[in-house]
Amino acid sequence: MILRLAFKNTLGAGLRTWLNVIVLSIAYVLIIGMQGLYRGMNDQASQARISQELGGGQYWHPQYDPYDPMTLDEAHGIPPSVLTGLVEAGMATPILCGPAAIFPEGRIRSVLLRGIEPDQQILDLPTAQLHSDHPLPIMLGARMAASVGVQVGDELTVRWRDSNGTFDAADAEVVYIFKSRIPTIDVGQIWLPLQRMQTMLAIPGQATMVVLQREGDPPESTTDWSFRDLDYLLMELKAMVRSKSVGGGIMQGLLLAIALLAIFDSQILSLFRRRREMGTLISLGMTRGNLIGLFTAEGALHGIMAMLLGTLYGLPLLTWLALTGIPLPGYSDDWGFALSDRLFPVYGPLLVLISTLIVFISVTVISYIPVRRIASLDPTEALRGKVS
Amino acid sequence: MIRFLLKGLIRDRSRSLLPAVVVSIGVMVTVMMYCWIIGSLYEMIDNSARFETGHVKVMTRAYQEVADQIPNDLAILNVTGLRDSLAAVYPDYDWVPRIRFGGLLDIPDENGETRDQGPVIGMAADIITPDSRDRTFLNLAQALVTGDLPQAADELLISAAFAAKLGVGIGDPATLIGSTMHGGMAFYNFKIVGTVEFGILALDRGALIADIRGVQDALDMPDGASELLGLHKSGQYLREEAPLMAAEFNQKKEMEKGEFTPVMLALQDQNNLGVMLNLIDYFAAILVTMFVTVMSIVLWNTGLMGSLRRYGEIGVRLAIGESKGHIYGSLVAESVGIGLAGSILGTAVALFFSALLQQYGFDISGKMQNATVMIPTVIHARITPTAYFIGFFPGLLAVVLGSMIAGLGIFKRSTAELFKELEV
Amino acid sequence: MKTLLPFIFILGFLPGQDWPTAEQVLAQVDANMVAGNRMTIATMVIHGRRDSRTLQIQSWIQGEDRSFSEYLSPPGERGIKMLKLKDELWTYSPQSDRTIRIAGHMLRQSLNGSDLSYEDMLEDNELLHSYTAVLLDSGRVADRPCWILELTAKRSDVTYHSRRIWVDRERFIALQEERFAKSGKLLKTTRIEEMFFQDERWYPRRITFQDMLKKGGGTELILDSLNFDIVIPDHLFTRAALRQ
Repeated sequence: MILRLAFKNTLGAGLRTWLNVIVLSIAYVLIIGMQGLYRGMNDQASQARISQELGGGQYWHPQYDPYDPMTLDEAHGIPPSVLTGLVEAGMATPILCGPAAIFPEGRIRSVLLRGIEPDQQILDLPTAQLHSDHPLPIMLGARMAASVGVQVGDELTVRWRDSNGTFDAADAEVVYIFKSRIPTIDVGQIWLPLQRMQTMLAIPGQATMVVLQREGDPPESTTDWSFRDLDYLLMELKAMVRSKSVGGGIMQGLLLAIALLAIFDSQILSLFRRRREMGTLISLGMTRGNLIGLFTAEGALHGIMAMLLGTLYGLPLLTWLALTGIPLPGYSDDWGFALSDRLFPVYGPLLVLISTLIVFISVTVISYIPVRRIASLDPTEALRGKVS
Repeated sequence: MIRFLLKGLIRDRSRSLLPAVVVSIGVMVTVMMYCWIIGSLYEMIDNSARFETGHVKVMTRAYQEVADQIPNDLAILNVTGLRDSLAAVYPDYDWVPRIRFGGLLDIPDENGETRDQGPVIGMAADIITPDSRDRTFLNLAQALVTGDLPQAADELLISAAFAAKLGVGIGDPATLIGSTMHGGMAFYNFKIVGTVEFGILALDRGALIADIRGVQDALDMPDGASELLGLHKSGQYLREEAPLMAAEFNQKKEMEKGEFTPVMLALQDQNNLGVMLNLIDYFAAILVTMFVTVMSIVLWNTGLMGSLRRYGEIGVRLAIGESKGHIYGSLVAESVGIGLAGSILGTAVALFFSALLQQYGFDISGKMQNATVMIPTVIHARITPTAYFIGFFPGLLAVVLGSMIAGLGIFKRSTAELFKELEV
Repeated sequence: MKTLLPFIFILGFLPGQDWPTAEQVLAQVDANMVAGNRMTIATMVIHGRRDSRTLQIQSWIQGEDRSFSEYLSPPGERGIKMLKLKDELWTYSPQSDRTIRIAGHMLRQSLNGSDLSYEDMLEDNELLHSYTAVLLDSGRVADRPCWILELTAKRSDVTYHSRRIWVDRERFIALQEERFAKSGKLLKTTRIEEMFFQDERWYPRRITFQDMLKKGGGTELILDSLNFDIVIPDHLFTRAALRQ
């Protein structure tokens, strides 16, 4: 009965109710929207790295340490048979890394050579461009090319040492410059055909790492080549997004607080306006507890109606945003994550459920707080329209 | 009449105090939210400025061309003179010299021979002068994991993970092996006095921070620096001023054609941060619009309800002969008064707290693992000129609009109906 | 007879006639350059992008495998010592009082910003050990008649895969040398600008090294003094000697 009465009273309030509901629904949709944005940001940046650099995880040569360039001379070997099997099945691709130097305008510059199969399909890189008649075709990222000052067709002198330490050098031709959202495959790197690099270093069949395809599980057999899963490889990115989302969480909390302010204000107003009604109900036998429950339920119903209204317009709006993305002005790759020129929010059922629960609980609590004073209401004073 | 109205206003808390409080709170939240949004969005810019780009940065022309290679043979010499001259011309900026370098950190055994060794990325700044701004800029005190900050030129901080890997503790010696400015081999003994968390994996694997005097000795760079960072004393990046300042400086130096002539770059001309700033403005506009809209609706609601509940009183006033237009005008005038009072109060309180947040920041380290050099866990608000008036949109305009709309009911209902709502 | 003389003269210089073999030339060069014990004081002038630096180094050298060097100037470098024992290189810095082994990657670093690396200092000076040689032609360098030899590495771990040297036909000293990568790209050149005669051998006085891939003024090495067949105490070639 309380709920039916609460529903009748809520709808009966007309414009006042709908105003609060609209405000609350906007806050609700915005909270879900913002959460979706952060998740989308994380996913997009992760996806960029996964698709162009990490694949489904990587097996590293035991000596390989991406943060210690000194290990590169030793960090190569014939991959274990289980991994070469994957490569042959098209489920993985080997990459060979090695130090070298280039001499743009006669000034020495250290670079990292990365040998990759031109025909590989594991990473979304335009490696097919490395098919060339030139004896040493190379591919650079746009940032690297700009930094070095080269364009497609230019030649660049590359000097390296083979596995025995003998110097070698050649004039490489820049056959392609690719745009990437990921600085880690661009800055300071030069990509070339794997077999060419293996020949250059006199290490046929060797690699520094094997990158797995995105689908499927890694092989279970243990080798001395350590497996780095995506959680490990994306650790830093996740930490950065977490730090950003803390600030975002504060903003969402305040957004909700603003909406709850309207509910609070409305409840206070109800207490003033409906004194006589409250006195009448208590006189007719309603307990104070039920009365508190009635008013609280009215407030909570605002939350439910807000969520329903929010779903009505929010669902198509957020779906549309998720499909078309939010345009980002300019190139944002130096923000620390790799995003494209559009940011695509990502919403999950858990996200929506948690946001819904938070809104509902907050509204209910805020609705309850001001109406607690009904517990001390004197019904006779209330019937006369006075506040006790 | 006016005194009657004023008395009624002041005596009836639900007509004056409550709406004014609600408006103040709403405006306060709006303004603080605005300052917070701007501050937290600019946080990344601030981090870049403090650690790498400065609000402006001075390097030699030759260094700037290959800066990512950290070519200390192309560094600034006579940096003290340059810093003093810049401080004289641009006194609103703090000028801090920095040296970036790479090398090996060699840990000796009891015989002085190598026990362990690891590659290291280094940064040198003035971190031992007690009032040095770099101690604050680099967030060292907060990022300290163990030990203390350096007090002498031959003391250094290394990343905690690197210390663990090398098996060194506080007080242990470490020799920096690197290249001097002239390409010679540099050996310099330091003492490890503390460990820090950098917050970036590559740095946490092997990085150190030392005082600039020690590193100048180590790398044979007397009075030298890789770069000279200029940071505005307010802590804020002045987006219009900085590029002009850089252009003015570069123009003065244009006559000096040498490759070691200093050049100045504004923050937005480094590392694509200009695009980042546009992105921040974009997001800030979206977020602020959202908040102001929501707050406006809330306060409009307040204004609306405040007038709606006064239909009884209005009925009485109509009955005693006051004209509808006059009543409407007085309602609107009251809401203007309440809106103004609430907005002024709310803005003042918000600016006060925002100023505190701008100065001291809000520590979110409870949500994060720990503070780091690169990602401080204290987020600062930022007061801009917009903060002084943005609260008036919801606080004044929305409230008045609500009252104006609610007041239209006066013209629709009859006196008796309004009277009935008096409930006496 | 008179008319035959030019033919005899020409015949005398036809290739394959009185020309030595490449190995013979190389052996002579090695014999000339590699001595027993010697002590040198040399000045290294490094032409950098900003300025030129001058270092003075005193060295005690025993055969191919052992050498001990000490920097005499400039003041900032004075007292730095280096000890080479076969393929190990140790350095001592009085400033830090540390003895550090230069190994692995560090060997590839440039020596004091010069066009020489530490590795270059460690390399086997006897070319015959590392290279096979072909006598290509004769030529002239700085008005001196030379044999032009093409050297190809015998082993896969030789730093420079091939070299071309211009050997003074009378003095058996390599007046000019070009060092090549495996691909044949020219990497470094050395040129002897001055030489002197002492103890029955010709020795370079001033050598210029140039990295051909980099822009720059190169590095000069000037031998200020040279003493052959000196007595060098064994204890000098120990790590303990670095700290004395």
